[in-house]
Amino acid sequence: MRFIARYAKDRGRVFEIATVYDTKVIKEQVHKEKPVIKTLSHEHPTALWFERKMQDDFGIIVEDAFDKRPLVHQEYFDTNLHPMRKDFKEKELKKSKFHPYDYEVIKGEGVFQVSVGPIHAGIIEPGHFHFSQAGEKILHLEVRHFYKYRAIEKMVEGKTLQEAKPIIERISGNESIAYQICLRDIMLQASKQELPQALQKRHAFLLELERVIHHLTDLGFIPNDAGFSAALAFCSKLAEDARRKMKELTGHRFGFGAIDFETKFIDTTSLHEWLDNLQKSVEFFEDWILDIPSLWDRLDTTGVLSLKKAIKYDSVGVVAKASGVKIDRRLNPFYLQHGFEVAYENSGDVAARFKVRIKELKNSLQMMHNFLEEKTTSFKLNSLQDGEFMSYSESSIGELFMAIDIKNGVIERFFVRDPSFMNWQALHLMMSNDIIADFPLINKSCDLSYAGNDL
Amino acid sequence: MIKFWNKRIKLGVLTENPEFEDEIKIIRKEIKDHIKKKFAGSLAIRMVDSGSCNACEAECNALSNPYYDLERLGIYFVASPRHADVMLLSGLMTFNMQPHVLDAYEQIPEPKWVITLGDCPVMAAPFEKTFAITAPAEKHLKVTHHIAGCPPSPKEIMKGLLEFLRKI
Repeated sequence: MRFIARYAKDRGRVFEIATVYDTKVIKEQVHKEKPVIKTLSHEHPTALWFERKMQDDFGIIVEDAFDKRPLVHQEYFDTNLHPMRKDFKEKELKKSKFHPYDYEVIKGEGVFQVSVGPIHAGIIEPGHFHFSQAGEKILHLEVRHFYKYRAIEKMVEGKTLQEAKPIIERISGNESIAYQICLRDIMLQASKQELPQALQKRHAFLLELERVIHHLTDLGFIPNDAGFSAALAFCSKLAEDARRKMKELTGHRFGFGAIDFETKFIDTTSLHEWLDNLQKSVEFFEDWILDIPSLWDRLDTTGVLSLKKAIKYDSVGVVAKASGVKIDRRLNPFYLQHGFEVAYENSGDVAARFKVRIKELKNSLQMMHNFLEEKTTSFKLNSLQDGEFMSYSESSIGELFMAIDIKNGVIERFFVRDPSFMNWQALHLMMSNDIIADFPLINKSCDLSYAGNDL
Repeated sequence: MIKFWNKRIKLGVLTENPEFEDEIKIIRKEIKDHIKKKFAGSLAIRMVDSGSCNACEAECNALSNPYYDLERLGIYFVASPRHADVMLLSGLMTFNMQPHVLDAYEQIPEPKWVITLGDCPVMAAPFEKTFAITAPAEKHLKVTHHIAGCPPSPKEIMKGLLEFLRKI
C-alpha cells in the first residue's frame, strides 16, 4: 500500500484526519479539546512531515512520534498559534521570542557541521541543508524548508474555485500546468461532466510541453553541476525555444491561465515540424553526452537511492522511476492509447535520473505528435456542487495530489501535496556514500520544488 | 566530442533571429555603455528569492542562455552578497524569509541598490495578504527600481535593468 498524504480538517468541535493511500482513504476524528493521534511514521517514514505540519497548523498532538519539532513555523513564529484553525483570523504576525531549532546532528571527535542556506549561491529558491561531516564524507544531512511558506492553504479558503485559480496556478511556476489540470479535474467532478476529447488532448499536449521544458532545463543543469557547461548552453537554448512555443500556444511563457475550457486554433503542420526538429536535437544531445566519459565518472554511482528505500519512503516521480519503481499517474487508457511508456532505470543514481529524464523527454515528444488535434469543440462548465473531491496529475517532478472540500460554493479546505514533499524526505538517504561536493549534483538530479513543498 | 564540433562548425550560430535581435541589440549596446561608465565595466547582482513561485528565478536563469547571454554585457549573478552591487529581490517577503533577506542586504557593501523583480514584492500578483506574507518589500528596504511582470520575460528584465542604469 503506497502512502500518499495525511492531512487534517477543522470540523467545528472535532478535527477530521484523512490518510490517503493509493487504494483507500481512511478518516478518523479527534476531539478538539484533546486532539491526540498516533503516528504512521514507523511504517511510512514520509508521514512524519505531514504529522509535524498538522501539529503546527492545527495543534494536533502526535503522541508517539519520535520527532515533535516544529516544521512550518520557524524561529520567530509564536508556537501557540495554529493558523489553519478556522478561528485564526490574523493578517499580521508579530515576531515572537527567538526559539532556536534543534538540528539532527551527529556528534563525535572530528565531526563537524556545515550549514548551507537558506540563501544559496546560485539563482535558486531558499531552503536549508544541515550536514554532519567527517572530513569530506557526509555522515548525515537534514533538509529544513518552509522558508517560502506563504500560507496558500489559508489564502484560498472562502474563495470559489474560479477565484482561487490564479493563485493555484502560481503555487509552483515549473509545475503550473499540472496544478491547473488537478484543479480542472476537481471542477469536472464537482460539475459531474466529462471533458470532450479535443480539450483533453490540448491539455495533455500542454502538460507534456511543460515537462519538455523542465526536463530540458535539468538536462543542461545536471552536467553543468559536474563542470560540463557546454550541455547547459545546448539545452538552455532548446528550453528557451520550447518556452517561446508555450508563449505562442497559451499567451504565457509558463502557461499561467492556460488550462481553460476553450479550444484554440493550432497550426498542426508547423508544430509537427517543430517537434521533429526538437526530437533530432535531443537525439544528437543524447548521442553526444553519452560519449563523454569524464562526465559519467561523476554521474555513475553518485547519490544512490535503492529500490528498497524508494518503496519504503513512498517516493514518486523521476526519483522513484530512476530506482525502478514504475509509478506514474499517466498509466491510464487515455495516455496509453497515445503512446505512453513508463521510463525507468534500476541503478537509482544521478546517472539513472539523468537517463530517465532523457527517456521521458523522448516519449513526451512522441506523444505530443499524437495529442495534436485540429478539431475544435465548445464546452461549458455547469455550476459546481458541494462535496469533497480529490484529483491527481503527473507533473514534471512526479505525482501531484490535490484535495478540495467545497461547502456553499466556496473552498472549505484546500490541500495539495507536491511530489517534492515526498522526495525531499528521501534526499538524505542518497548522501550515505558521497562527499559534500557531490551534494549540488545530487540535489539538482532530483530537481525538487521548494515553492510547491512550502506552499 | 568531435561530433559536437562538426555540428558547431557546420551550423554556425543558431540563436539568431533578426526581428527579435534588432530590439535586443539596441538594449544590449546601451546597457554595456552604462555599465562601462557607472560600474567600471562590471555590474554584480545578487539574486534573492523571498518566496516566489520559481518562475522569476527560471527567467533569470534564462538570461544566461545563448539567446540573451547577459554576461557578455558585464552583468554577473554573483554567489555572495559581499560581492554584489545590486540585490535583485523576487517573491512575497514571507515571514520566515524576511530576517534572512535583511541579513543578506546588510552584507552588501556600500554603495548598494535594491531592484524588485516580478509582481510579488509589490503585492501586485494574485496572491492575497496572509499572516505569512510581509510584502511589499518597500516596508523593509529602500527600493530603487521595480521590474514588473508575472514573471517578467528575459527581455523585460533586460529592459528593466537598463531603466535602472539610466536612473542612477
